[in-house]
Amino acid sequence: MSLEPQELEDLKSKIGREPTSTELQIVAAEWSEHCSYKSSKKHLKMLPMTGPLVISEKGYDSGVLDVGDGYVITAHIESHNHPSAVEPYGGAATGVGGVIRDILSAGTRPIAIFDGLRFGDIEKDQQARWLFKNAVTGIADYGNCLGIPTIGGEVEFDECYSNYALVDVAAIGFGKKENLIKNHANKGDLVVLMGGSTGRDGIGGSQFASDSLESEDRSAVQVPDPFIEKLVIEAILEARNHNLINALKDLGGGGLSCAVSETADTLGIGIEMDVDKVHTKESGMHPDEIMVSESQERMLIVTNKKKLKKLQEICKKFSITCSVIGHVTSGNLMHVKKGAKTFANISTDVVANAHLLDRPSKKPAYLDAIQKEKKLKPITNLSKTLMRLISSPNIASKIWVYSQYDHEVGIRTVVKPGKDASVLRLDNGKFLSAKIDGNPKQCYINPREGAIGCFEEACRNVVCTGAKPIGMLDHLQFGNPEDPEIFWTFLESLKGLTDFAKYFKIPCIGGKVSLYNETPSGPIKPTPLIGVLGLIDKKPLIPQKVLDGDSLIMIGDTKDELGGSEYYEYIHKFIGGNCPKVDFAESKKNMKSVLDLIKKQLLKVCHDCSKGGLAVAASEICMTNQIGCQLSLEKVPGEKLSDDKKLFSESHSRYLAVIDKKNIKKVEETLQKNKVSYKTIGKFTGNKIQFNHGKNTVIDLSVDKAQKAWVSSLGELVTHG
Amino acid sequence: MATFSVHVTIENKPGISDPEGDTILNDLVLKGTHKNISKIKTAKMLKFTIQEKDKKTAEKKIQEICDELRIYNPMVSKVTIDVFE
Repeated sequence: MSLEPQELEDLKSKIGREPTSTELQIVAAEWSEHCSYKSSKKHLKMLPMTGPLVISEKGYDSGVLDVGDGYVITAHIESHNHPSAVEPYGGAATGVGGVIRDILSAGTRPIAIFDGLRFGDIEKDQQARWLFKNAVTGIADYGNCLGIPTIGGEVEFDECYSNYALVDVAAIGFGKKENLIKNHANKGDLVVLMGGSTGRDGIGGSQFASDSLESEDRSAVQVPDPFIEKLVIEAILEARNHNLINALKDLGGGGLSCAVSETADTLGIGIEMDVDKVHTKESGMHPDEIMVSESQERMLIVTNKKKLKKLQEICKKFSITCSVIGHVTSGNLMHVKKGAKTFANISTDVVANAHLLDRPSKKPAYLDAIQKEKKLKPITNLSKTLMRLISSPNIASKIWVYSQYDHEVGIRTVVKPGKDASVLRLDNGKFLSAKIDGNPKQCYINPREGAIGCFEEACRNVVCTGAKPIGMLDHLQFGNPEDPEIFWTFLESLKGLTDFAKYFKIPCIGGKVSLYNETPSGPIKPTPLIGVLGLIDKKPLIPQKVLDGDSLIMIGDTKDELGGSEYYEYIHKFIGGNCPKVDFAESKKNMKSVLDLIKKQLLKVCHDCSKGGLAVAASEICMTNQIGCQLSLEKVPGEKLSDDKKLFSESHSRYLAVIDKKNIKKVEETLQKNKVSYKTIGKFTGNKIQFNHGKNTVIDLSVDKAQKAWVSSLGELVTHG
Repeated sequence: MATFSVHVTIENKPGISDPEGDTILNDLVLKGTHKNISKIKTAKMLKFTIQEKDKKTAEKKIQEICDELRIYNPMVSKVTIDVFE
């Protein structure tokens, strides 16, 4: 763990002397990219972060939204990429633990977990299979032990993640507005460390996360203990109810160094602490190790002398350890002692505010050539192509994953995983819908449009449940930012997200930037991941059984946009082409119309078109309902295109809606009034998925056969290779 | 060729925490009267039976199998191999 030479000079000039070794460790942890956001912070300010529902208070680690009737929801997203690439089980599990404590630190109870997972090509790569299997088990074991449902997410495989893993975890919390922790502290208040003991595990994790992953540099391993986490959650919430917490912060990357310096800096106070008071796993730990250890399941609480006794009683009741490690002082110094001896005495203003960088950026050379289309080999048997796509790891049902998660515990889950977005019931009678989406294939071809596409897809997914998007979380994952070309892709994605967020007035309520995601064979593709939260005031659309005679309406235009599509990349092995672009006005119109139709209760099922395009989206409706469908490709709204492009284009802003015959007229009236591009393209009947063009049958698949492949292929691949 | 019994013990490396061992110690053993216990570590053991020409080759072969099939994670686990005739 170390500082760059110019950072060391900067530190020396700021404090006017040589730093001690403990100070160096503390500053190195806090100034790492992972904690300081030194490359990205200047630019992240462009995102809109305020809105009528957003509650912002100092020192929150999660975003807070007012959902009415005195209730709030909180949300946060985190990644645990480097630890998961080394030890997928523990890395993924502790990732869940970390994001849950961020939710807890606002004083809300965590009620749901989402996970976004990305690995190498599991069809060929045994290491990728091993990482995938263990990361899923880690998330399942941790979330299930805590009694918090894991209600959604996404899984994707791409060669760019070979020998690596992206494990992103998002969590949602819920609580009363009056119970939110109002972070504050007065001179003389006590600083308490609660939860797991501090040990040598995970030392230097945040620094580790800010270095590229090289084969031998794999040192930080964290061992999860969900049962302590559960006790910490319950103890904190009880202490909150008794108003015993003045300020609260979770210990994540950078351990005590970051938690103490950030708390002091945000609240404008000083903190004096004694490392001898910290409860440790082993004796003889050096103060430096105690300060930067990233042992899990720990929280930092500021309380006062009067409240301490009750707080200790609560901790005792839940049999978790809490230690008074220091107290609040006036001024702004972070004073670390061991007994009477001082090991660090440094201004928190210096520690918590790294020198922000203005990194150079340059458009990558590959981008000009990659958007060119290529003449592809014509395909004669499109039924076979669809079948291959349905069984491909990226499109096949993720039931093997989510069936391992308890997604119903807490009895809030109204719409369960496997649909567009999951829906949770809130205590005030409203419903919350949430989804996370990413698309590195499109982001690689066009970082700006790709990122906007992820955002729109997440919006589409919550809209399909009848929810209006009210907030977004962004998680920006890129390679080494010191490379100007990579930094350019980061900026382009960010600008795209900002434009979309401003146009739709969806505030960014939280996020994370993860850089230096490099594998031995190079940087990962740009992988922004967007989470969208939607609120339903009255009734969500719970998918109904599709029956013989129901009609299929397609809303939105299909365009010649197959760049980054599964059809180009999985079937034709071609990386490139026209990346789908979101037309903001059209997107808004379509979203509004779908929400109108759901509100009027005219839809039985609503599903968005994304990976695999219309062909896959329509097949999914058939397979989940075990009913056939006759579709006419010539009726598909949009440009004049060849059959394969109509089937597999991944243009955005498109929805498939299943409608009962008797409602067709009313649906059409609404769509016409909103001037939306739509057509009735199919009718549900029989037991075959048939795409026709005029009199020709282009695709003919048996629903049973397709469904079997769709449901079982991922699980078989993982278990039998 | 002889038959060997090879015991592979997999435990967390020193310094990496072991919640299961700690729980057994704190919530079971120390709650009784056994105050002289200071540490419990959990481990997993696999017992292989293998035909090999000698003890050394048997040990080497088993080590190879464990490495190749990722039976343990070298980042996390410490592995001890004992061979019995």
